Amino acid sequence: MGEASATAVDRPARPAARPGGRALLQDALFRHGTRLAAVAVGSVVLGILAALTVGAWPAIERFGAGFLGSSAWNPVTEEFGALVPIYGTLVTSAIALLIAVPVSFGVALFITELAPGWLKRPVGTAIELLAAIPSIIYGMWGLFVFAPLFGEHVQPWLTERLAGVPGIGILFDGPPMGIGVLTAGIILAVMVIPFIASVMRDVFEVVPAPLKESAYGLGATTWEVVWKVVLPYTKVGVIGGIMLGLGRALGETMAVTFVIGNAHELSASLFMPGNTISSILANEFTEAVGELYVASLIYLGLILFGITFVVLAAAKLLLIRLGAREGRRA
Amino acid sequence: MDEASAHIEAGAAAGPAPAVTEVPNPKIVVRNLSFRYGRFQALHDISLSIPERQVTAFIGPSGCGKSTLLRCFNRIYELYPDQRASGEILLDGENILDRRQDLNLLRARVGMVFQKPTPFPMSIYDNIAFGVRLYERLSRAQMSERVEWALRKAALWDEVKDKLRQSGQQLSGGQQQRLCIARAIAVKPEVLLLDEPASALDPISTLRIEELIHELKSDYTIVIVTHNMQQAARVSDYTAFLYMGRLVEYSDTSTIFTNPRRKETEDYITGRYG
Amino acid sequence: MLSLYRRRLLVNAFNLGVSVAMTLFGLFWLAWLLWTLLSQGLQWLGPHVFTAPTPPPGEQGGLANAIVGSLLLTGFGVLIGAPLGLLAGTFLAEFGRVSRLAAAIRFINDVLLSAPSILIGVFVYTVLVVPFGHFSGWAGAAALALIVVPVVVRTTEDMLKLVPDALREAAAALGAPYWKVVVAIVYRAALGGIMTGVLLAVARISGETAPLLFTALSNQFWSTDMSGPMANLPVVIFQFAMSPYEDWQHLAWAGALLITLAVLALNIVARVAFRRRKARQ
Repeated sequence: MGEASATAVDRPARPAARPGGRALLQDALFRHGTRLAAVAVGSVVLGILAALTVGAWPAIERFGAGFLGSSAWNPVTEEFGALVPIYGTLVTSAIALLIAVPVSFGVALFITELAPGWLKRPVGTAIELLAAIPSIIYGMWGLFVFAPLFGEHVQPWLTERLAGVPGIGILFDGPPMGIGVLTAGIILAVMVIPFIASVMRDVFEVVPAPLKESAYGLGATTWEVVWKVVLPYTKVGVIGGIMLGLGRALGETMAVTFVIGNAHELSASLFMPGNTISSILANEFTEAVGELYVASLIYLGLILFGITFVVLAAAKLLLIRLGAREGRRA
Repeated sequence: MDEASAHIEAGAAAGPAPAVTEVPNPKIVVRNLSFRYGRFQALHDISLSIPERQVTAFIGPSGCGKSTLLRCFNRIYELYPDQRASGEILLDGENILDRRQDLNLLRARVGMVFQKPTPFPMSIYDNIAFGVRLYERLSRAQMSERVEWALRKAALWDEVKDKLRQSGQQLSGGQQQRLCIARAIAVKPEVLLLDEPASALDPISTLRIEELIHELKSDYTIVIVTHNMQQAARVSDYTAFLYMGRLVEYSDTSTIFTNPRRKETEDYITGRYG
Repeated sequence: MLSLYRRRLLVNAFNLGVSVAMTLFGLFWLAWLLWTLLSQGLQWLGPHVFTAPTPPPGEQGGLANAIVGSLLLTGFGVLIGAPLGLLAGTFLAEFGRVSRLAAAIRFINDVLLSAPSILIGVFVYTVLVVPFGHFSGWAGAAALALIVVPVVVRTTEDMLKLVPDALREAAAALGAPYWKVVVAIVYRAALGGIMTGVLLAVARISGETAPLLFTALSNQFWSTDMSGPMANLPVVIFQFAMSPYEDWQHLAWAGALLITLAVLALNIVARVAFRRRKARQ
């Protein structure tokens, strides 16, 4: 208390306790500064939405919702529609997922359950490096290396085997040009494998060991443990990973631009060239003349933004709902 | 003794709220302290006094509020938005729960050591210098002197004097905890709060920490939370027993352990619950 | 009984075999890509690539202006994007644990993270190119910064949340004001993870092409003027690869090899550095 209790420890003179003070001011600055940055990040996205809407406005006014269902694309007569690129975007992404999901599952299964310890990390890293390679590299490689081989060897083989099959035959009936919707889908698949596989691997790895051990303890095989215990336990994360991959595939630009052929045509055959929203933007945006042409391209961009937003929101909602259910059960 | 018997009667008659035990030279006086985590009330109407340059122990079963009470003395709970204390805590007669209290200065006066060692991700030297630099401008030589002084006080100097530039996170658990004590006393606080400082340590390290507490009490007012009753009996002068957020009994340590007045205290001390 | 068991074993063996095959399938693409790049790129890689600017068709030249442009755009992109992302991530982790504003921003940041990069190009085009009437390096750097931001926000928040509260309490208990707790202790504890995030963001933008098409565009000539159109490796590779001239295609392969090696090196450095750090703690 007073001087009477002065001790061996010689305490420093500190400023008297007072309200406010420099530290409080600095704390307030720090808090509000970081909040400002966070709000800025938030407003950027709203800004993107606003800028796209404003830019697309002439086209929205002119074509309205009919834009979505029209396959027209004629800069001369200024008739524009989004059906072809939307179709191309969805079909290439669907092909990509169809290939990438089973492959990613196989990769994740291999890394988590089969690979010896020393092999896990190198294989995992190698697969992740696939995601690091810039998309323009995929594009070049796809155009100059993959497409010629694909057109020469694989497409004729597919046509021969599958063109006669009722129902799906029409998908594989076409000239073996190498480039086209199917090629774009395959290259997209390679590009999204690392995203899906690494999420699957991560969620497989957090399955509690006792759970797997009790299944093994009943005499289950590795496959049965993975298929009937690990996969159901991790389905939330697996779906999240697939959604992540889908998001990437929908918005991927350069790789697709190189190999899809950039034709504004709607054709049933996957061998035919087509385009996607992002490839049409990459090809035509800088060259577009005329307000309506540019506005129509931006309108396409707005639609792409909407599609990726829906995918993300759906993934989040699903994760929240599934998460809540798991929580209740536990 | 008259007062003491009055306690017993008042306690027995009125139920849970015991009167303030008189202590010599109170450094901290707690009056009608309540504490909430959101909707959950963790402390109910606590009143007690902490004597200066003595060791006071808080004991009680897990969740009884003993750590919560300790965390009120430097208002560290303010880091979390939904935690609130009400009532009064007087430090040298000044209410530190006052809204105008500068928290940083309060914490410089009231140091704290936590259950798990918390070395900062920097060298041993910088771990100690970090707190000192906040409030004092020292020359390089003065700072080295201060670091050595704190490490010696914490009985760690001989073990680390040759590796002051190494990361504090490379020390053993017991050494890390003594580093944290050195870090706390380097700021030269008046009060030292120890929140189960030995519960994560091996018996030998625990013994060293207890010896340290003995030595430090000539300079500091020490409040220790422990779930280990033997430890409380060994190191403290006063002991408070808390149960379900209420102060059940507070007295000098020998009374609590040899002649508790309340049945709950006796039950806890003899190991019937907790 | 035995036949059922035998069938289960068979199913197991078959499916595990498929799993191995799938892994090989995945690795096969990586090997094929790298092999293509090395075999096509190495032969056209020489000192002239680093010293001479991009040539007109049919003439000798290199990629010097594109390399410098890429370094400038990437550098400014990170310098603008990383601090903003760091601050925003700090807000989410340190002040936004229970705030609605933070929850909203967290979601919006995820939207930005998953937004196709070409749309970021379109956005920057409408706000930084159209009003000024010309393409510019600044617009390119801004587009790249917008790609860096959500990555850094996410990693910063994740990494700061991994720092135990006990460390924050310990620093605050010494009388440190909160900003000091965060800057001197929490950032330091999370440094490895945050740096990894920044490095990965650098790797990502150094190969980005789509957002630069409408912003920095490209430039035939030597230019370090950020307010004018600026050459950069990805767009030059795109233009040269799609061109009918063999010389240009050769340079495109050389550039592709360069950019891939740089990106892979950044990735590996980021991973190795962070792993070592984690092992130490």
